[in-house]
Amino acid sequence: MRSPFGPMMGRHLVTVLLSAGVGAGAVAADLSGAARASSSDSSGADVYNHICQGCHMSQGEGAIGAGHYPKLAGDLTLASWQYVALTVLQGRNGMPAFGTPENTVWEGPPGFGLVHLSDAQIADVVNYVRSHFGNNFRERVSASDVAKLSHPGSAAVP
Amino acid sequence: MRRWPCAPPGGHPCCNMPGTVTIMPQCHAKIGVAASAGSRHYLSNIRALVAVKSGVTMENDPSSSSLSRRQLLRMIGVTAGNAAMYQAMSSLGFAAESPYRGPIDLQGAPRGASVLILGAGMAGMTAAYELRNAGYQVQVLEYNARAGGRNWSLRGGDTYTELGGLTQHCEFDKDLYINPGPWRIPYHHRGMLSYCKRLGVALEAFVQVNYNAYLHSSRAFGGKPQRFREIKADYQGHVAELLAKATRQNVLDAAVSKEDQERLLESLREWGALDKNYAYVSGEGSSERRGYKKNPGGGLSARPIPSEPIGLSDILDSRLWEDIPNGDEFDMQTALFQPVGGMGRVGEAFGRELGPVIRYNAKVVDIHQDAQGVTATYEDLGTPGSKLTARADWCLCTIPLSILSQIPMNVSAAMAAAIAAVPYASAVKVGLQFKRRFWEEDEHIYGGITYTDLPIANIGYPNTGYHSSGKGVLLGAYIWGLDAMEFTAMTPAQRVQKAVDYGSQIHPQYRQEFDNGVAMAWHRSPFTMGCFGMWNSDSRARHYDDLCRIDQRIALAGEHASYISGWQEGAVTSALDAIGRLHQRAVAQGDKG
Repeated sequence: MRSPFGPMMGRHLVTVLLSAGVGAGAVAADLSGAARASSSDSSGADVYNHICQGCHMSQGEGAIGAGHYPKLAGDLTLASWQYVALTVLQGRNGMPAFGTPENTVWEGPPGFGLVHLSDAQIADVVNYVRSHFGNNFRERVSASDVAKLSHPGSAAVP
Repeated sequence: MRRWPCAPPGGHPCCNMPGTVTIMPQCHAKIGVAASAGSRHYLSNIRALVAVKSGVTMENDPSSSSLSRRQLLRMIGVTAGNAAMYQAMSSLGFAAESPYRGPIDLQGAPRGASVLILGAGMAGMTAAYELRNAGYQVQVLEYNARAGGRNWSLRGGDTYTELGGLTQHCEFDKDLYINPGPWRIPYHHRGMLSYCKRLGVALEAFVQVNYNAYLHSSRAFGGKPQRFREIKADYQGHVAELLAKATRQNVLDAAVSKEDQERLLESLREWGALDKNYAYVSGEGSSERRGYKKNPGGGLSARPIPSEPIGLSDILDSRLWEDIPNGDEFDMQTALFQPVGGMGRVGEAFGRELGPVIRYNAKVVDIHQDAQGVTATYEDLGTPGSKLTARADWCLCTIPLSILSQIPMNVSAAMAAAIAAVPYASAVKVGLQFKRRFWEEDEHIYGGITYTDLPIANIGYPNTGYHSSGKGVLLGAYIWGLDAMEFTAMTPAQRVQKAVDYGSQIHPQYRQEFDNGVAMAWHRSPFTMGCFGMWNSDSRARHYDDLCRIDQRIALAGEHASYISGWQEGAVTSALDAIGRLHQRAVAQGDKG
């Protein structure tokens, strides 16, 4: 399958190193100096601010055009952490999956491949959106909780 | 007799029209050509397939002579669908390699038949143009206030409001523009080229490969950009030298005959600009490829000084070789074109041609089909909260799947699953206006693309207006994947600033000469919510045919319903394919009333 706009990034998917400052994610490294601490909350904020915010907006308010990006602020479906985590892992409609295994070779066109978040990063961002934007779900999710959910490419679906 | 517009190499899985017969005109002319042994074998396989599928046993048919090839092709067309038909024809040498077959023939449109088209991008307007010309009553609903969709140019004076509400005012000088979406048309995208011609859209050359543009790695050569010609010549020269060495040391004896080794050595010397000893060294030979240290000239100071090639190890370590073959890709090969005045000229021309057929500012909120037709409910964005309806016998829906997956529509579970199965790619483009064309004046770069490992990924120089004085606009960033997501999460002003910051590592003049810029993040696009549909081999296998099959009275089209993802040609050929099939169904139902 051909690439629409030229091969530039190779076929392997990109792993997010938001604070590493090398290769993919270099932009974030510039912008996230204040958030380089390793606590899970700042990791969740990093992932949200550099990836999710592009569509769901800075305050989780979502957006409406010809279609819509769901708002996360005050969204009752966030009561289910599994729903949120599965959405990040597997994608939903036009939203890409972020849980494709790290060693996956993308079968589609090169150049605009998948982006991989670790189970820990997904747990952090799930906790972040469920405890920010006016949301106040107290339950905390861990990487091992996320690991138990169905990942893209795995057979089992819960 | 009907021409078939969309049958790409390898066959097209969505071209199933049970009960119809499709023959290309070329078939008649070439029927007399003798089949090769190979194709005879293929024919007997096809015949067996036909027999099994149709439940018919063809008696007394031991050889290909008892059925004319035309009859055979008709049978394959009837029984196995057009994809198999196309493969059979390819095997017989009747079909060309391009999916575009020239203007579609939709003769015999039933009197009074109507088609509702959703979306005035390349797919929707291709369909509207052809169906209207064929006598159908056509209406198009478009979300934007303009025609074109992703076919679009941002020019001075334009404004654009992205999702999230931030509005950009493009402050480019007159006649300067950026193409936020597609920007090039390969010579073999014959559908796009054909519509440019029919609509009077003038074309000029798009420069893909510029030997004087840069390959740049922030981690190699001290971050200094390297001229494409130097990296290419040196990489090629060193590889040729190594291969020549291996040949002369008899390493290739098992693989290459002695006579061929002679030719191989000769060709390596030519390909790699090697000297008489098959070495890639500083001298006239290599400098004629990579450029001189001092160029030849006239008069007393004329004597050239050869340049010094970069060592193989430095080139390999730099990874700059990754971007050498970009122009060898089928989609990037010379010649490529761009419309004079911006890619948006195509959409604008279609919009003028269709005039009142298109209703703008119409946001589709519901699509419902019944036994007689299809009704779309839409909001007139000029009257918030309004609910209007449009109805027709048939519907061609070109709304991107990212949006269509959120619109209620009563289609089969299989089509609904296909619509929900395609994530949309992230992409960002930044247009930067500078006070002068320093890339031409200082660096002698006329058009083409610089590639870099910085997050901006590409710098595209304007392929028009060469040597003009005054300001110039270049493409300051063209980004995919994670970096695009991160740029999307910034404000437009931040994206422009980042593009200037990174670009100044390649062109230090940026700091001094920057004037203004605009930034397009496709996931913030209100009318697409992403750049284009990302298929992979698994989702293709599971869902693609279900997406493309007509569901009662609704057919889908767009780049997302093609094997040319992200290219306008995918939109054009998918539209022609879909309306060809809709037309067949309409004809089968006959005149209205």
